[in-house]
Amino acid sequence: MIYSLKSVSKCFPERGGEVQALTCVTLQVRPGELLALLGQSGAGKTTLFRLLNVTLRPTVGVVLFDGDDTSLLSGRALRTMRRRVGTIYQQHNLVPSLTALENALCGALGRMSFFGTLRSIFQPAKTDLDRALHALELVSLVDKRNARADELSGGQQQRLAVARVLMQSPDVILADEPTASLDPTLAESITSLLVGLAREGKKTLIMAVHGVDVALRHFPRAVGLRDGGLSFDVPASEVCSDLLCTLYSQDGKSTGERDDEHAHYKLGCVR
Amino acid sequence: MTSTPITNSVAFDSTRARRFASITLGRVLWLAATVALLTVSWRFAEVRPRILLQPSTFVALWNFLRGLYPPDISPNFLRTLLSAIVQTVATAVVGTLLSITFALPLGVLATSTLWRRGILFSADVGSLTHRAGAVASRVSRALLGFLRAVPDLVWALLFVAGVGLGTLAGTLALAVAYSGVLGRVFADVFEHVDLQPLEALQSTGATRLQIFLRGVWPQALPHLVAFSLYSFECSVRAAAVLGFVGAGGIGYEISVSMRLFEYGQVLTLLLVFIALLATSDAISRYLRRRVVNNTKPARKVVAQEKATVSKPFRSKARRVAASMLALPLLVASFPLAGFTLDAFAFTGIAARLARFVRHMLPPVLSWEMVSGCGTAVLQTIAISLVGTLIGLALAVVFAVPATSTLAFLPGDYPGRVRFIDRALRWLLFWSARLVLNVLRSIPELVWVLICILAVGIGPFAGTLALGLHTAGVLGKLYAETMEEVPIRPIEALRSVGARPLQVLLWAIWPQARPLLTSYTVLRWEVNLRASTILGLVGGGGLGQAIYNNVQLGFYSRLSTLILLIYALVLTSDWIGERVRLRAA
Repeated sequence: MIYSLKSVSKCFPERGGEVQALTCVTLQVRPGELLALLGQSGAGKTTLFRLLNVTLRPTVGVVLFDGDDTSLLSGRALRTMRRRVGTIYQQHNLVPSLTALENALCGALGRMSFFGTLRSIFQPAKTDLDRALHALELVSLVDKRNARADELSGGQQQRLAVARVLMQSPDVILADEPTASLDPTLAESITSLLVGLAREGKKTLIMAVHGVDVALRHFPRAVGLRDGGLSFDVPASEVCSDLLCTLYSQDGKSTGERDDEHAHYKLGCVR
Repeated sequence: MTSTPITNSVAFDSTRARRFASITLGRVLWLAATVALLTVSWRFAEVRPRILLQPSTFVALWNFLRGLYPPDISPNFLRTLLSAIVQTVATAVVGTLLSITFALPLGVLATSTLWRRGILFSADVGSLTHRAGAVASRVSRALLGFLRAVPDLVWALLFVAGVGLGTLAGTLALAVAYSGVLGRVFADVFEHVDLQPLEALQSTGATRLQIFLRGVWPQALPHLVAFSLYSFECSVRAAAVLGFVGAGGIGYEISVSMRLFEYGQVLTLLLVFIALLATSDAISRYLRRRVVNNTKPARKVVAQEKATVSKPFRSKARRVAASMLALPLLVASFPLAGFTLDAFAFTGIAARLARFVRHMLPPVLSWEMVSGCGTAVLQTIAISLVGTLIGLALAVVFAVPATSTLAFLPGDYPGRVRFIDRALRWLLFWSARLVLNVLRSIPELVWVLICILAVGIGPFAGTLALGLHTAGVLGKLYAETMEEVPIRPIEALRSVGARPLQVLLWAIWPQARPLLTSYTVLRWEVNLRASTILGLVGGGGLGQAIYNNVQLGFYSRLSTLILLIYALVLTSDWIGERVRLRAA
């Protein structure tokens, strides 16, 4: 198992109490598995990702990565583990004042030595530079390599975030709605790119997706998250309209009123 | 590590990829010019680092440090201390009141939108009255610029020479110096009010006075109040330092105790000074919050937010009580600040001032005089450059551990953290903060006196002193800037497996760079002004020449020196603005 979550809960302190972001989530992920994460906004997907890429500590429960308890690691071991997990964030999380190339290079930071880091301020190693350019080419951003990240459009920033993860070349790719700000064609190509990379390199890919049809087309396994708890965890072929209606309905009732967005999901699963 | 499809098979010319350390002729020239400038400055500031390593330096500093403890709290000294505090506060209060009184008319006159240009003048540009108003407005703005450019300590020295030792000189100096600062700020506030209401008023046929009273004033008032309160804070700080040139208050006591080697008294005075600053900051901040809603004090009018003035106390009875309490205090401040009846009636202050001014005019503008000041001017510039450089270096060293986002692990930090690790981080953070606070809260002039103990009188002492104070100011600003950098990219880099140094270099520095540069350049401008006065207590530069000429009574040469300072400050403003625009 690459990931093994045992009854993990996460609370965030808030004014006048706590917010329960995740409740008792138990999940096993095999190496090389492709997994689609479904759920409404606020269902706890982002929190789950932050637990998986080890930047957050669970309030209760254990997160095992490749058999190691993440809460027992420190310093160098923790950084080594993070290096093996690449994250594509919903808000891209690029450094706005660095160029596209420099942002892509950031993916290699985990592998750089102390002196390599000092050197990289002036001139990064040639191999790193070549890899970064290749990564930019894969997301067709080579022309924009010298543009600052905050000068790029939303879609370009999203692709740059993908390039940074390509540069990192991790064992696990976590993608938090990476296609949210892209047009359908580009979204499809980015999804195929990530899925292709994962299949080719035997990497694990966990992706939060908005369109159910995309999820069912590319991912063999689908996990539904609702109000911080697991709603279902089934092979993609078994995802049916009942499951989805429970996942996306208001107040947990499958007959509750739905807005257009949810009608879209329904449509997607019926098709 | 698994194999990846990413290999270096791509035939990109990676040297063409970006301007990573590309060496261009322009860059080489800039670098050479900077190195040359610093080398020359190094010599002119008479920096001799070796002195710092001599045993005698350590002995002198050790004697000073040992003398600091215990602080002197004998009843006799406490009586002196109390009167010094009262004098300082009274000087600051009266100085602020007078500066507001002078600044308002000058500020109104300097407001270009009221006299020269803008929507109020679409009709009658070129008429005689318009031209006269425009000229008056320009003159007023230039006058404010001059009042602002001459450092408050130089004003104090002038008034000490004009009206004699004591708090009156300090009060007048504050009034003049801060009316320059406030007048400029007031004019900026008047210029930045929303113009549409003015247009509407004008179209109803309102006169310019009516437009000002009904359109400009109500919009500007909250900002005027906020800046006046902020200026009070600065006045307290200044009032405590003016005594170094004989204008009374805490500064006078500090310089006397230093000269008598009574270091225990120095410590008491410094502690009181810091407490006084903290109190006045707190009072001013409290009043600003109570009186002005939604106004942040900023050194410059950056953006005009909508702000309103509210009544400071809710019930009428409390308002009456507050004013009953405040009025007598304000009135009582006047005699304490030197405005006594006999000061005006018998010695004839006005006559003495007039005679003094007559002696100052005309300034000596002969070539010998001006070229004779050349060394002093260069030394002043050198002190400001090297001092800022020393400050910058120290600030970087202390700001990194003083940045809470770097020093502490995030609250939800996963993984195991040993207790000793947490304790070390805590200790490092707070000791860095403490060092920065000590460096910052001791004024430059006190640092000069301390540095003189170590390295002797001269520009090196002034440079060191400037560097130490600057380190405190810049270090705090750097740490705060780095803390306020957007957190998301930092999080992303952490999740890549970046170590703290990499987070600093790749996420914090690129995001904070423009602000850090502009703070540093602004501080250099302040330091240039400061380095003209370090010489008043033995720190070299123009101040030395000013002090000598005052002592010898060469007042017409004094006015030449003041004109030189004015020119220096104007130049530094111009350079600073250019550099900051480039950096942004």
